[in-house]
Amino acid sequence: MEKKTTVAEKGAPLETVPEAGSMLRLPASAPLATRPIGVLVPEAGHQTPAVGQRAPRLDGRLHGLGQTKYIDDFYLPGMLYAKIKRAGIASARIISIDTKEAEAMPGVVAVVTGRDVPCNSFGPSLKDQPVLADTRVFHAGDGVAAVAAVTEQIATEALDKITVEYEPLTPVLDPLESLKLETPGLHAPNPNIYGHKVIKKGDVEKAFAESDHIFEGSYRTQMVEHVPLEPHATVATWDPNGRVTIYATLGRITLGRADVARTLGIPTSRVRIVATTVGGNFGGKNEITTEPVVALLSKKTGRPVKCTFTRAEEFASSTTRHPLIMDYKTGVTKDGRILARKIRLVLDGGAYCSWSETTLSKACILSAGPYNIENLYAEAFVVYTNKTMTGAMRGFGAPQVCFAYESHMDEIAAALNIDPLEIRLLNVFEEGSLSPTGQTLHSVVVKESLLRAARRFGWIEAQS
Amino acid sequence: MVTVTIKVNGETRTASVAPETTLLRLLRENFSLTGTKLGCDVGDCGACTVIVDGKPVNSCLMLAGQVDGRDVLTIEGLATIDRLHPIQKAFEDHASLQCGFCGPGIILSAKALIDENPAPTTQEIRDALGGNLCRCTGYTKMIEAIRVAARTLRDEVADQPA
Repeated sequence: MEKKTTVAEKGAPLETVPEAGSMLRLPASAPLATRPIGVLVPEAGHQTPAVGQRAPRLDGRLHGLGQTKYIDDFYLPGMLYAKIKRAGIASARIISIDTKEAEAMPGVVAVVTGRDVPCNSFGPSLKDQPVLADTRVFHAGDGVAAVAAVTEQIATEALDKITVEYEPLTPVLDPLESLKLETPGLHAPNPNIYGHKVIKKGDVEKAFAESDHIFEGSYRTQMVEHVPLEPHATVATWDPNGRVTIYATLGRITLGRADVARTLGIPTSRVRIVATTVGGNFGGKNEITTEPVVALLSKKTGRPVKCTFTRAEEFASSTTRHPLIMDYKTGVTKDGRILARKIRLVLDGGAYCSWSETTLSKACILSAGPYNIENLYAEAFVVYTNKTMTGAMRGFGAPQVCFAYESHMDEIAAALNIDPLEIRLLNVFEEGSLSPTGQTLHSVVVKESLLRAARRFGWIEAQS
Repeated sequence: MVTVTIKVNGETRTASVAPETTLLRLLRENFSLTGTKLGCDVGDCGACTVIVDGKPVNSCLMLAGQVDGRDVLTIEGLATIDRLHPIQKAFEDHASLQCGFCGPGIILSAKALIDENPAPTTQEIRDALGGNLCRCTGYTKMIEAIRVAARTLRDEVADQPA
C-alpha cells in the first residue's frame, strides 16, 4: 500500500497549496505603480507630475472580482431582518398604531414604534426629523413602525398586519404656497420658512433705472433622487457591555455617531460606527436614516439586525435634490453689459431640513453666475412642504442656479441679437474680480476656457 | 420548499428553498455568492446580472426553481487561480469602476457579449450594457475596457495552435 505523504513532507510551501474546493483568491489589490519620486515636490505655479499619470485604483481589483463587501453582503450569526412601515400619506396626525397582530406572527421577533425611541428627533442642522413618526406624519415616506423577523419576507408581511389610524390633514405641496406667511407652520411653532439668505451689492433699483433693457425670467428645476446603485443598508449589533456597533452605508460617520447616540440616549463612547465601501453616495448617504431603528430592534431582540432599503424606499424615504423656483431680473446696456441683477430663489425643502441650510447658502452665493455685476440683490428662502425631504446632492444647489442664470443669459443674448459667447465674454469674471460676497478671485480662466471650448466644439465655425 | 440543484461556477450545488426564492437570493443567501448584487429587485438596474447557460439574465427576475439543472456563472467564477479574466484585467487597468456596485453585473454582461460577438463595435457594447445602470462613471471607461478585453481575447484565440 502506498504511503500517504503530508503536504509538509512533500516540502511544498504552504501558501501555494490550494484549499480544497475553495474558490480562487487573487491578491486583493494590484501592485502599486512606481512614481518619479525625485520630482514630486511641487513648485508654486507648476503642474505636479501626478496629473496625467495612470494610477490603478486600490479597490479596483476587488470590485472586479465581486469581492468588495457592501453592507448588504454582511451576515452575522443569528441575524434578523428589519422592514419599516411607511406612512403612505403626505400629512396626517397619528391617532393610534396597533402592532399586536404583527407581533403575534410566527417568525416576528420584535416591533418598535416612535414611542420606543428615547429621543425621537435628529438632523444634520435642525433636529426636526423623527426617527419614526409618533404623533405626526410629515411626508408619505415617513416610517411609522419597524419589524424584525427571521426572514425579510416575514418582516415584509408583518408590515401589513400593523394598523395605523390617521387623521388626514391637508398637505402643503407647493413651495410658493408654503412661502406665504398665512400658511400654518408644518413644524409649528417653527415657521415654514426655515432658512433665509440675502446678498446685497450696490444699488439695484438705481441701476435698473439706468439700464437700456430689463429682462425677466422664471426658471424651475425638479426634485432628483440620487439613485445610488446600492440601497441604504444597516446592520446593528450590541455587545454585553451595552455598546452598539452599527455597520452602515454612511458617508459621515462621526456626524452619524453623534446623531445615533443622541437618539438612543447613550454616550457617543457606546456607539461604534463602521463604514465600509459605499455603493454610491452622491450626498444621499451623508446623514443617518434608519440606523437608530435598527439599533433599537437589535437591542430589543438581543440579536444582530439588518435593514436594507427597497428601491421604492430609496425614492420615498431618502433625501433628494432641492427643486428650485428661480426668478431673475437683469438690467443691461444695449451692447449687453450687465448693470444690475435681482434674484429670488425658493427652495422646496420637503418635510425636513436635512442639509437645506448648506444648499440655500451655496445656491444664493452662486446665483448671479460667474459674471461681474456691480449691483446685485439675491434673496433665497427654503420652505417646508409635505414631500420627500431634500438634502445634500452633488453641488449643493449649484447646478440648479447654473441652469437658471445660463438660460437667462441665452435669452438676453437672443433678444439683443448678440452672440451668446460674446455676451458671456463681455461679462465674465477676470483675474482679481470680486465674487458676489466680496471674495477676490484668483486663477480665473473663464474667458480662456470659454474660447477654447468654443474652438473645440466648432462654435466659432458654426457662427461664421 | 423546492430542491434546486444547479451548477455554479463549475461546482454542483443543491439547496432547499421556498418556492418564491429568486435566483439572486439563492446565490447570495444560500451559496454566499454575494458578488451578485441586489440593486432594485425589479429588473431595472442589472446589478444582479449572471450568466445562465451562456445568456445574461437578471437573477432577481428568475426563480431559483427555474434554474434547476442549469449552468450558472457568477462574478466569483470568472477569474482562474492563475489570472484575472481579461475583462476584469481591462476594467482594473482602465479604472472602469468607481463605487463598484454595478461592476459584477456589467462585467458579466460584457462577457456574454464577447462570447457571442468577439469583435463588438462601440454601439454593440452600448446595446449590450443597455440593461445595466451605473451612476458613477458615465460608462466611457467601461466601454474602452470592453473593447480592449475583446481584442485581448481575440488575440488569445488567434495564438492558440489549431
